[in-house]
Order: sequence, then structure tokens, then C-alpha cells
Amino acid sequence: MPSNKILWRACCIAAIFVGIIGFTPLAIPQNIFQPKLLGIPYPLWVSILLSFLLVFLTFLGTKVHPGKNNPDEE
Amino acid sequence: MIPILIVISIIYLGLLITFSLVTRQKEKDTATYLLAGSKIGSVLGIFTFAATLFSTFTLIGMPDFFRTHGVGSWMFLAFSDAAMVFAIISVGYYLRKKAKREDFKGLSGLIAQCYKNKFAGYIIFAGAFVFLVPYVAIQIRGIAIFLNATFPGAMPIWGWASAMVVIMLTYSEIGGLKAIIYSDMLQGLLLLIVIWIIGYNCLSYFGNLDNLFIKIEEVNKDLLSIPGPKGLFTPQFLIASFIAIMMIPFTQPQVVTRIIIMKNYKSLFRMAIGVGVFAMIIIFPTLLIGMYGAIHYPEASTADFISNVLISEQSDFIAAFTVIGLIAAAISTSDSQIFAMGGELRSLLEGEDAKMLQITRIAIVFFAVTILVFSLLTSDQLVLLARTSFAGTALMAPMIFTGIFATKKLKMGLPIFTLVCMLTFIASLMGLIPNNYLGIRLDLILMFSLVLFALVNYHFFSEKTVPEQVISEAK
Repeated sequence: MPSNKILWRACCIAAIFVGIIGFTPLAIPQNIFQPKLLGIPYPLWVSILLSFLLVFLTFLGTKVHPGKNNPDEE
Repeated sequence: MIPILIVISIIYLGLLITFSLVTRQKEKDTATYLLAGSKIGSVLGIFTFAATLFSTFTLIGMPDFFRTHGVGSWMFLAFSDAAMVFAIISVGYYLRKKAKREDFKGLSGLIAQCYKNKFAGYIIFAGAFVFLVPYVAIQIRGIAIFLNATFPGAMPIWGWASAMVVIMLTYSEIGGLKAIIYSDMLQGLLLLIVIWIIGYNCLSYFGNLDNLFIKIEEVNKDLLSIPGPKGLFTPQFLIASFIAIMMIPFTQPQVVTRIIIMKNYKSLFRMAIGVGVFAMIIIFPTLLIGMYGAIHYPEASTADFISNVLISEQSDFIAAFTVIGLIAAAISTSDSQIFAMGGELRSLLEGEDAKMLQITRIAIVFFAVTILVFSLLTSDQLVLLARTSFAGTALMAPMIFTGIFATKKLKMGLPIFTLVCMLTFIASLMGLIPNNYLGIRLDLILMFSLVLFALVNYHFFSEKTVPEQVISEAK
């Protein structure tokens, strides 16, 4: 089982990766709105998906954060 | 609508008075008055953070932004907010650690201690003051203009603005940060409920999302893609905004305070997740309202569009709640920022606590009056002025981060360079110098220059001899 420190770093790398992907033509192609998903134009559904992914990574991050059981805080 | 509005206003004001009286303390000190005892749980934390962050900017500015610039507005705000909550759990952890060691009273005081130089603290205070005043002022102005348009002849714009400033000063002066936090809870809930009801009504008009976007495609298909009809969302604009918004929790004092005053790390972490979810669920209905506006009010002014969609087209009951929700949104952000500026001043003052707190409370009134005056003079570009405020305070991030993470003795090179960059940014805002060089935005150039300067300065020019105290603290 990988340590919390490794998992936390994996979360950080994943968050940085998602952050970068968000600004590539993959997520925000210029003047393109197809394919739609449930009627939602492409740049919107992709950016919604990436936003939720970042919030989910935050959730995962809190579970493995090296400081989550810091005794100084209680 | 007026009788319902009067009843709701009385209930709203009654709740604000109750909060300030319940939280009022005879013996005021910095820890309880300015930092609310630093024992805020996750639920209160989510709402106070969200109410401070999402304001008039969200309720009026974002629907208008979606209406004018299209779906890229999601990337501009929601995606940046999502990255911001990840930053809260990663950098916020170290910020709290540092703040605990340095007996935190305010960000300016903390940075003065990190750099062992008061001038560093003054730079933070000046940056916060210069860039937050316009931001707070536009909140108040935005609502005052809206109320003036909705109730023509009732009161002039300055009358509405003054009334809001008096309300927020009254309860925050009496109850301190705790009163603000409880009122944030009320205002955050109100904001969420109101915006969802209106967003739902806008969606119901079209039946579903599919029909809504088909109609948008017929009206103006540029709204469905990036960079939007006016070409605003260039990659540079989005990246610069992303950095500026992500830095808010560490560079804007009212938000820094909310990270520090959480009860423990567990509360901080839960708060971060909650704010992330809150951001998504509050921005989505603004998308619906904006798209509805793009179809029905494509050429209307912001005030007319907002007044029609939020008030005229709603039932009297919803319209009355919306008016209070809008006032609450403006007040919840503005009071936190005015109060935080007081906290920043307090953190730079030395002397007997009671006396310094007295000076701080007087200064809070001075800040509020300054903001009121500015609100009567500023422009109506709500979102773009807010973004300028975020970009301005973000320039302090490299200096603040270096202060938080440093284990070496810090010199004043970086704070001075930060001051130069902020002055350069202000000069570009005033039109004295261009805001674009070789096709690159000035705010991006300044931010990357600061990051580079911070790294080089810290690694090559900071004293390698680590004082004993710093070593033990680092351990």
C-alpha cells in the first residue's frame, strides 16, 4: 500500500495535469462547439467535467494529505 | 411586491441585529473580535468562505458575463475556483502552520514577521487596500444601480449605497467577525436559493438544456464556443485569470483570515471541498440566467437585463427575496473585505491590545467611507473590475509564498520588486503604459517575472546560514 505522501503527490500531479489540460485545444478548441453532450456544447461540458474532476481530486487529496492527522491541531 | 419586500426586509434586518447582539462581547480583544476566536467549524466555514467569495460579482456579473461572452465564462470562473480549492488544501495547510507559529493577527503582520521587516507588511497592506477598494466599491455600486433601476424615484444611487454601508458597519462594529460569519451563513443560503429558483425558471422556459442551446445556436452561435462573440476568452486571458483567482485564498486578506480561523485541518479540508461544490452549484444557474438573457435581452444594458430577469419576470414573492438576496450578496462580501482591511491594519500596530483595537474600529469606519465614495465614482464593468482586483492582489503571491515556505533568512529584494510590479500594473490600468508587450499581457509578464525573481533571489541570494529558531520551526 503506497504511503500517504506518495498518494498526496499523485493527487498534486493529477491536479496540475488537469489544470494544464484545461487550457489546451483539447478542452477549449477555438470556435468549435461539437460534439454536444445532453445538448451542452463541447467547451462547456468538458470544462464542467474538468472542474468536477478538480473538486474530486481535492476530496481525494484531503483523504491522503500528510497533515490530516496533525496532532498539534486538536 | 412592496409589502412582501417590507416584511422580508424586516425579518432580514432582525436576523442581522440578532446575530450582532448574540455575538457581542463586552470585553473585546483582537482574537475574539477580529478572528472570531479561531474556532470555526466546517459548515460555518463553507458558508462564510462562499459568501465572501461569491457576491454581486456572481449574482449580477456572471449572468451578464455568460450573456455577453458565452460558455467560456465557465472556464473563466468555475474551473479557476475548482483549482483554487485544491490550492487551499495544499498551500493553505502551510499557511496555517506558519500563522500558528507567528501569532497571526493579519496577513500584513504575518509577512512583516516572515521578512523581519515592517516595510514588507506595509507593501501587503497597501496592495490589499489599493486593489480591494475598487472591488468592494463595485459590489456596492452594482446593487445600488440595480435597486435604482428597479425602484426608480425611491432613492438615488448614493442613498442605496449609503444605506448598505450603514447596515454592514452597524452589525460588524457591534459583533465583530463572528457576527459577519453568522450573517454570511444567512446570506450564502439566501443567495443559493434565490439564484437556483431564477435559474430553474429560466431553464423551464425552454423545457430542457438541449432546447436552450439550440435556441442560442440560432441567435448567436459564437456564445457556444471559445473565445466568445467579442473574442475575450483568449488562452492568455483565461490563464491570467486562472492564476489570479487561484491565488485569492493567499493574497486577499478576508479569505486568508477564513483559512486561519478554521478550528483545525479537518475543518479546513471539509470547508475546501464544500466551497468547491458550492462554486459549481452557484455558477451553473448563472449560466442558465445568462443564456436566457442572450436570447431575450441580447442588446439590453446590464441593469435592464438583470432588473427584468431577476425582478420583473418573477412572482412578487421571488422578486422580493431576490432584492434581499442581492443586497445580502453585496453586503456579505463587502463587510468581510472592509473588516479584513481593519485586521490588516491591526496586525501592523504594536501596543496595548484594547487601544489598538479601538484604532482599528475607527479605521474600519474610515475604510467604509472611502469605499462608499469610490462606489459613487467607479465604472459599471463589474466582472472585469473584479478580475483586475484579483490580478492586482495575485502579484503579491510570490512574496507571500516565499514568506510561508522559506527556511532561510529573507531579504527585502522580493518585497521591493513586488512593489515595483504593482506600481507598473497600476500604471497600465491608468493607461500610462501599454498593457501588452510582444503580444503578451502585462499581468502575465509581471507574474512570471515575480516568480522567476523569487526563485532566483531565494536560491542564490538568501543567507544560507539558518538561524537556530528557523531550524527548529522547520522541523
